[in-house]
Amino acid sequence: MLDVVSGYYNRAQTFGVDAFEDRFREIRKAVPPHSVVGYTSDNPANDDSALAEFYLAQYTLAPTIVTNTINQPLLVVNYHNPQPDLAKLGAQHLTVVQNFGNGILLCRNNTR
Amino acid sequence: MIFLCLALVWLTGFGLLRWLFPSRLRWSVENVLLFSLAVGVGIGIASCLYFVTLALGGGKLVTLASVEGAAAVIAVALGMSAKRSRSALTSSPEASTPSYLKALFVLGFAMAAVMFILYSLARPHGEADAWSIWNLHARFLARGGAFWTDAFSKQIAWSHPDYPLLLPGIIALCWTLARTDSTAVTIAIAFLFTFAAAGLLMSTLAILRGRTQAFIAGILLLGTAAFVETGATQYADVPLSFYMLATLALICLQDRYPEDLRFSLLAGLTAGFAAWTKNEGLLFVVVVAVARSIALFRFSRRPGWTRQLILFAGGALPPLAVVGFFKLRYAPPDDLMTRTWSTIIHNLSDPARWITCITAFIQAALTWGGFLIPILLVLVLYWYLVRFQVDETGRPGLWTAAIALALMLAGDFAAYLLLVGGDLEVQIHNSIVHVLLQLWPAGLLTFFAAANVPQLVATPKAAEPEKHAKRPPKARRRAAGTH
Repeated sequence: MLDVVSGYYNRAQTFGVDAFEDRFREIRKAVPPHSVVGYTSDNPANDDSALAEFYLAQYTLAPTIVTNTINQPLLVVNYHNPQPDLAKLGAQHLTVVQNFGNGILLCRNNTR
Repeated sequence: MIFLCLALVWLTGFGLLRWLFPSRLRWSVENVLLFSLAVGVGIGIASCLYFVTLALGGGKLVTLASVEGAAAVIAVALGMSAKRSRSALTSSPEASTPSYLKALFVLGFAMAAVMFILYSLARPHGEADAWSIWNLHARFLARGGAFWTDAFSKQIAWSHPDYPLLLPGIIALCWTLARTDSTAVTIAIAFLFTFAAAGLLMSTLAILRGRTQAFIAGILLLGTAAFVETGATQYADVPLSFYMLATLALICLQDRYPEDLRFSLLAGLTAGFAAWTKNEGLLFVVVVAVARSIALFRFSRRPGWTRQLILFAGGALPPLAVVGFFKLRYAPPDDLMTRTWSTIIHNLSDPARWITCITAFIQAALTWGGFLIPILLVLVLYWYLVRFQVDETGRPGLWTAAIALALMLAGDFAAYLLLVGGDLEVQIHNSIVHVLLQLWPAGLLTFFAAANVPQLVATPKAAEPEKHAKRPPKARRRAAGTH
């Protein structure tokens, strides 16, 4: 009970689904609803939060299917820096289609 | 609008139950049972209808509203037209329940409700499994339009697209009818299942063993922080535990009213809904049928066995048909069921897996629920103090429940031992709490239906002379020390 009460009062400090959904609000309107898009982020590959954020991206963007790969013509990029390193994206053959200004980008894979 | 949808769903269940068990609308233990049971029955019916309508007629708002509205109207009409014909379900006779026990229950209920609400306010989307499985599937169904089958795509295999759709179905239905995908829907459904389980447990025990026993069990269930918290996480474990409890409660009631086979029919229906909730529910249907057969043969009730089993199968058939339709037509293969025989034999002969599983089960039994003292030890002590006493009529039902729970536990153990891949220790650590939680309300029902009712009120002194007066004259003389 006490854990739940303290969890309630500390909820603003924790990374929540609502905050994540807010970040993805604009890109949700931009991705086609019945399609498959790729996903990449700047999280370390073995980090637990990397997988959790990928699942949250899928939850937020449903009914679009999100796959955890860059091998799709369209990609959702989830960076935690509002000014992402575009050169790094270019090295992965990704071109920015739309930058939503909060680290979230819609990119095209030039190799697909 | 959201609460109107949920009210319609509940009315569908309540109407059907009132048709089966007509009773006067007043405060009674029978109505508490029907009110609680109606939550699961209504949600089960609405979810099955939603899926069938979606599959056959598409997810158009008008079609869905017509089908669900028609079901509610028919159920309510049936419930209102039913004539009271059979005996009502009443509390078991007993001495009055002490007021401090009632006060303790009110306190427990209030604390559980506050805990649930605070948890839901802090995490309105629930925990990871809720938004990566159940609510995600609901979003695909509700938002997907003609492409709702994307919910079962192999590209999101990590979200277990083979899991049954009772929970995603009812959530998607409410979202579609209310035209919003508000978290109020998922929170309200989780709340209903959590607290209806307590109502169901208490009303069944009140009928079987009296109100004192019902209050003690209710306090223990709502005092189980893990149960209330898991309810608020919006996982499917509490709904599954509700259907398991409902099935075994109805089977116990069947023995109390042996000529009234409505209980077996309803038990079949709720077991079928368990299978529509989680894959473990399919095992549960088989386990209950086996356990009931063993119990009835053990107590030489062979003639009743055929009739009860036919009605149980009849009740389970509609939801199982929906599960079959889903599994055969839409769901990808269950990842656990795709294990090869060589893998299973290899796992069976691996001593490390045996040790991991046995250790994890023992550890979980001693630490489960977050109690200060292991709840298993508390129950053993309670049993030592009050002991079990079951009358002749109640024995087959209790044996059914006990065998079913033991077989479910054995089935879960076998699944871990033989089928679970990857890091077994991590998998078992992450899920065993939920597996035990599924069995907890039904376990409490079995324990308290078997346990003696403790004497919590001192015998009034005024009753003493009366007791003496009833004794035969010789005994009375001896008691008075005279000849």
